[in-house]
Amino acid sequence: MNFSVLTSQFWSLLLSGISLGLIYVLIALGYTMVYGVLRLINFANSEIFMVGTFAVVFAETGLTGHTLDSEPLKGTQLFLTLGLAMLIAMAASGFTAVMVEILAYRRLRARGNNRLASLISAIGMSIALSEAASVLTDARPQSNPRLLEKTSLGEIAGANFRIDTVIVLVAAVVMFILLDRFVNKTRIGIAIRAVSMSEENAKLMGVNLNRVISITFLVGGIMTGAAAFLFMTVYETTKFTVGFNLGLAAFTAAVLGGIGNLRGAFYGGVTLGIMETMSAAVLGSQWKAVTVFVILVLVLLVRPNGLFGEAIQQARA
Amino acid sequence: MSEKILELRNLTMQFGGVKALDDVSLHVNKGEICALIGPNGAGKTTVFNVITGVYQATAGDIVFSGSSILGKKRHLITKLGLARTFQNVRLFGDMTALENVITATDVHKKSGLLGGLFGTPRSRREEKASKERAHELLKFLGIDHRADQLGKNLPYGDQRRLEIARALGTEPQVLLLDEPAAGFNPAEKVALANDIKKIRDAGYTVLLIEHDMSLIMGISDRVIVLDFGKKIADDIPSKVQNDPKVIEAYLGAPADAS
Amino acid sequence: MLNLRDAGSHFWDRLNPIQRKIFVVVAIAFLFVVPYLNEFGPTSFLNTPIASFKDALVYPIGMFVLMALGLNIVVGKSGLLDLGYVAFFAIGAYTGAILSTTTGLNMWEILPIGIALAMLSGFILGLPTLRLRGDYLAIVTLGFGEITRIVVLNSKFTGGTNGVPNIPPPPKVGPVVFNIMNPQNYYYLIVVMILLTIWMIRRLSVRRAGRAWEAIRQDEDVAMLMGVPTLKYKLWSFTIGAAVGGAAGVVFASKVMVIAPGMFDFQVSILILACVVFGGIGNIWGVVLGATLLAYIPERIRFLTDTRQLAFGLVLVIMMNFRPDGLLPRKKREKIKEKAKETK
Ligand SMILES: Nc1ncnc2c1ncn2[C@@H]1O[C@H](COP(=O)(O)OP(=O)(O)O)[C@@H](O)[C@H]1O
Ligand SMILES: [Mg+2]
Repeated sequence: MNFSVLTSQFWSLLLSGISLGLIYVLIALGYTMVYGVLRLINFANSEIFMVGTFAVVFAETGLTGHTLDSEPLKGTQLFLTLGLAMLIAMAASGFTAVMVEILAYRRLRARGNNRLASLISAIGMSIALSEAASVLTDARPQSNPRLLEKTSLGEIAGANFRIDTVIVLVAAVVMFILLDRFVNKTRIGIAIRAVSMSEENAKLMGVNLNRVISITFLVGGIMTGAAAFLFMTVYETTKFTVGFNLGLAAFTAAVLGGIGNLRGAFYGGVTLGIMETMSAAVLGSQWKAVTVFVILVLVLLVRPNGLFGEAIQQARA
Repeated sequence: MSEKILELRNLTMQFGGVKALDDVSLHVNKGEICALIGPNGAGKTTVFNVITGVYQATAGDIVFSGSSILGKKRHLITKLGLARTFQNVRLFGDMTALENVITATDVHKKSGLLGGLFGTPRSRREEKASKERAHELLKFLGIDHRADQLGKNLPYGDQRRLEIARALGTEPQVLLLDEPAAGFNPAEKVALANDIKKIRDAGYTVLLIEHDMSLIMGISDRVIVLDFGKKIADDIPSKVQNDPKVIEAYLGAPADAS
Repeated sequence: MLNLRDAGSHFWDRLNPIQRKIFVVVAIAFLFVVPYLNEFGPTSFLNTPIASFKDALVYPIGMFVLMALGLNIVVGKSGLLDLGYVAFFAIGAYTGAILSTTTGLNMWEILPIGIALAMLSGFILGLPTLRLRGDYLAIVTLGFGEITRIVVLNSKFTGGTNGVPNIPPPPKVGPVVFNIMNPQNYYYLIVVMILLTIWMIRRLSVRRAGRAWEAIRQDEDVAMLMGVPTLKYKLWSFTIGAAVGGAAGVVFASKVMVIAPGMFDFQVSILILACVVFGGIGNIWGVVLGATLLAYIPERIRFLTDTRQLAFGLVLVIMMNFRPDGLLPRKKREKIKEKAKETK
């Protein structure tokens, strides 16, 4: 154990923590949105993320013809390629999320609420997706080319503001604000909130439940896909199992902020990112997942509604 | 002089902005049939929920057999002697009628999992006794012929009777019945009224939520009236019936709505 | 669709006590000859191409049946979704491996220790988490399974990535020798453990614990209000499930002789869950059938070996959506048997 890093590299760790945390935020939104309308954990969200990362690899290699040793791009070309990759990741994840809803949840929902069956069905979906990816990639890691030269934009107090870090900070915050506005300002967003408050009331108000739920999955998937793009821009490699740990962490972030609560997911994600990065620096990175798990259990036991205020709705009995 | 077996003292139950119960004090005497009435939404079911520990009262105290049961775990409250039925039937649908009742009788068993596993003499004795007791209770309510049918396959009326039998399985001192006659036709109501009297005569105390005035007037020793979470009357049936406050409370809400 | 469960219990109901005894004896005798089945001409199609048939009977088939029965107590009987069941298997296996290589204890002596440790960890995990709602429990147990693997992978006393080699086989019992040459004896051991587990579950099912689990599964709130100490019985369910997993682990370690963290990943938990779901959540015979099929088919049909996880994932989705009760559904029929007895 090495506590001195906490003082010597504090600002640098803080910056990496925030940037990792922001990626968690976007994935956590996928969990939290679905939880809001269905009161169920979407176990397949981690694989919705995984699909997004593979989509990035596809967009940056197969689709645009780059290879792993391509030169970094510049100017408009860079901007367009990264933009395209991000859109494709969001589309792939969004599509996967909608398929998950239709294949794993819809039938069970129509037949009445059997939570155990829905949970198992979602787990099955999650396994099937990740194993399908494993078969398709021979279980080998996949990398995307470094299209973006990772130059440093400057250093503040030892924290290195590399360009990819800055992209994460900006893009994640912008995505979050867009979502927040969508949910609070648009008609469909308000319908989503109505369903979160009370499914019966929403139905009485004439909300088309299936449509709202599909859109919720779609939007959650799009956020998760954006996270996948940012993740690949920073870490540049993925594998069929990538969703497992990130999914657990993002779920923890959602719980930390109060699951079902969008702004909570934001605070939860950033907090978890910082805690995880700092503890990994002290304990060694192999214990990262353990830290996350311990945090999850502690939060569930001590403050099941999250650290940051009440969840939108108390869990329905 | 009758002895108070269950008492609510200045009880308040608040849900967000809604005060479902507002400083309610009431008591049930040992051996009586006490009716709890009031328009829909008055807070009757909430009274049952706070008594049985489903909700934590915001303020006030609940005293049962001389000691406070506030904050006690639900299964312990049941074990102490308070058992209830539900406004909407909530049986264990995939268990037989008999198993439903035996499950309730388990609360007083001394032998647990290991005793059952190794078939200790005490466990076997207790199993046998509770099976007999369960049949007795089913007979008591006239549904012993349903003993081996699954709860969910019983006709509606028998489901309601089975709920009462199950509650009696816990050997309660006070039986809390939440609208047991809901959905019954007049003949069934008469039969139910007789059952409730039989239950009282067997030594149980009954707190009964009901909408049907003639049923209540026929069997209750005392009637408590709630309206908007407040107690507005508490007296013998004939007096309550003519209480202007009660009549007013019921003007907007027909008395037999269920 | 044909209801195998009802067909089976009809058959059983019609037998008189003597016929039933004969049936049980024949069934057990059949279990005894199973390891040799593939050696007879007409049944040689049973042969498994990769592992020998006898080895495949021990692992995966026997182990999966045993663990699926254990998990079924948790998921099927009490309706608690445990996604980290592999942790108990791992705890049993590492207890067996470490104690048998570092102390003089043999497998028979370690077995109760492994079971106790698995139960203890089930208790420690369950005590705080069994208060949580179902889906939280699922994710916490999932995390626990993963944590167990990470701890095992990164600790010195577990041998890290290399695991524990040279695990000795158990000493012989009477004439029954346990070594690589005699895998059928491990199979018999597993069969005994399976029968014991079945006996235990059947026994508990018709007694207080079984009723408590059933009540919790159907409506936990009402169960509490009917006096069921729900936390206590959920803990029991969890720890008994853990005990079965731990027992399987101890035997597994001494059978395979080398264990490594890779054998205890999340996939195993899912596999066992798939066995339970496929066969019929909550029904012992369904679980046995489901686990046998899901363990055997990928061994028999080679190309399935690579894609079996994928298949298991799909099995979960398809079963839940189209046949949520599995191949052999849990009790649906009313108990005619009981009635017949009463009227006698
Ligand atoms: N869990 C709850 N959350 C919020 N409000 C509740 C809850 N339970 C009951 N209430 C409110 O308390 C009031 C009384 O309800 P209840 O006790 O069910 O009435 P009734 O007299 O018809 O049985 C109602 O306004 C109801 O909406
Ligand atoms: Mg009511």
